[in-house]
Amino acid sequence: MIETIYIEKKIKNHPRTKFILNKFKKSRLLEIDKYAEIFNKRNQNFRIQKANPNLILAHKNNSFVLPTPEGFGIGSSENFYFSHMFNCIYDCRYCFLQGMFSSANYVIFVNFEDFDTSIKNVINKNINSKITFFSGYDCDSLALENVTGFAKHILRLFQHYPEVDIEFRTKSIQKEPFISIEPMKNVIMAYSLMPDLMSSALDNKVPSISKRIKVISDLALRGWKIGLRFDPLIHGEDWKFLYENLLEKVYNSIPLESIHSVSVGPLRFPKKMFKDIFKLYPKEPLFTGPLSTNKDIISYNTKIEEEMSFFCKNLTLKYIDNSQFFRCYA
Amino acid sequence: MNKSNFLNKMSIRWVVAFKEEAKVILDYYKMLLVNEKTLYPIYKNVEETHWLTLSGIGRHNSAAATSYLYKISHAPKWTSWINIGIAGSGKGDYGDICLVDKIFNQNSNITYPITMPKSNLPKMSLVTTDTPITDYFSKELIDMEGSAFFDIASKLTSKEFICIMKIISDGPLDDIKQLTKLKITQLVTSNLSKISEVVSYYENLSENENQIIAKPDIFYKISSNWHFSVTQLYQLENLIRRLDVFCGNDDIMKLIKQCKNSSFVINALNSKIENNKVDWSDV
Repeated sequence: MIETIYIEKKIKNHPRTKFILNKFKKSRLLEIDKYAEIFNKRNQNFRIQKANPNLILAHKNNSFVLPTPEGFGIGSSENFYFSHMFNCIYDCRYCFLQGMFSSANYVIFVNFEDFDTSIKNVINKNINSKITFFSGYDCDSLALENVTGFAKHILRLFQHYPEVDIEFRTKSIQKEPFISIEPMKNVIMAYSLMPDLMSSALDNKVPSISKRIKVISDLALRGWKIGLRFDPLIHGEDWKFLYENLLEKVYNSIPLESIHSVSVGPLRFPKKMFKDIFKLYPKEPLFTGPLSTNKDIISYNTKIEEEMSFFCKNLTLKYIDNSQFFRCYA
Repeated sequence: MNKSNFLNKMSIRWVVAFKEEAKVILDYYKMLLVNEKTLYPIYKNVEETHWLTLSGIGRHNSAAATSYLYKISHAPKWTSWINIGIAGSGKGDYGDICLVDKIFNQNSNITYPITMPKSNLPKMSLVTTDTPITDYFSKELIDMEGSAFFDIASKLTSKEFICIMKIISDGPLDDIKQLTKLKITQLVTSNLSKISEVVSYYENLSENENQIIAKPDIFYKISSNWHFSVTQLYQLENLIRRLDVFCGNDDIMKLIKQCKNSSFVINALNSKIENNKVDWSDV
């Protein structure tokens, strides 16, 4: 239940605004000038808001498509991301969003068509390069699909560009619109996974690992390409045993030919971001692990990072080709 | 109030314009007038968890009284700030109480208080004016203090800890001239159970925040046993907070009892963290 929906005056009559509002008939509606009036204000407590986030419907004015940070990618020479939404319905303790935004309210940008235009421009400018777009960098790409319909919308665009890849990164078990349309070869359904024990402690409000694996399997059997994202890798007692179990379970649950790529990524926070997150959750067990500072980044030490990556890679390469394995650093 | 007095205590600060509005609240929360000469009248309960000031009428008074109460009561970071009072309304019914989630002032500034979640109380917009107005048309709520209170309180704490409640006292069908001191007190009395329910939410919010923010006891013990620089104190606090999750106080003290100076203490605690393997089956 969303208690209050803030709506930018500019888009109050937008058909997508009406479509979304139709799903929240009991919410209180408040008109605002700009979403930043609510979202960017200082003196907000992300943790408290996260318990009952409100919704902001807004118009995005610029920066529709951005290059991904260095170290983020799955093999293409040019990587871009876009976010039709800020924040996420899940509450994962390692998530950078909790340190990036001062508000936990959800912002949905309703002008999807402007994303289309920007994506087309980027494609046209990089016509000779292999491009991958990532949906769901500042949000989960599918978790609110039943409200926004963004994936359904953007898939239509990518049907016209079969040589350009798009990755939907998610922890959701939302299968629509993917079970209603024919699989597309340029679409990667990428799922973030970690051992069940860690996920239970860290992935709050998120579907269980076994439910996610079930959906991965369903979509793979329908012919969709699958990305497996073991990111971040979480350290702890028996981590080898836990990751081995997880990897074996995943690779034995889905047709291997459906796997587009597997990536692993370390747990990392910019120092300032970590400070903010730690203030919000000082009693969080994740932060009692062997984290240290290196060049303004808080992470496990290099030895742990390397050992965990190497371990997961070795196990993974029993099932897929080395060219499908990636290490992400962002 | 010293640091240890804050432990496990919630903290509520009330800013109310009139004595007639405050009377029932003062009784209910057992607050008594502080026997000192103060700029604005100040009341508090014995536990010093609830403090209230009477601001008088208008934005300037409300802003000044809020700042004054903050200072004189040493309001900690986890304080919830509450403004309650009567308001005119062009839309609601006489006697209804509501939460404010949008405030306009006469300079056309608009602010958006965050209201108590999952409340059955209606939410309304508030216009704060500098002069009394009886043109109620299209206005949900009208008062003379709310915006100033919110502006100051939001500099003192995060917005989730600020609450504005208004009780509708006048409107097109209820002439403000008919409003008496007794009627004002009756309006608050008849809404007391709803008020206390809202306040209970803010009490819990404040108490929980205190428990999250408060430094573990052992931090004070260690920092008084060795001499730490300011930077080291910051390091110590972070380390203790992390260790406190999985290590008992006795274990922490055992680790450092042989340390000759603060650097050794920091190193010993750091080493414990660096070698910790989180047991996720235990979380």
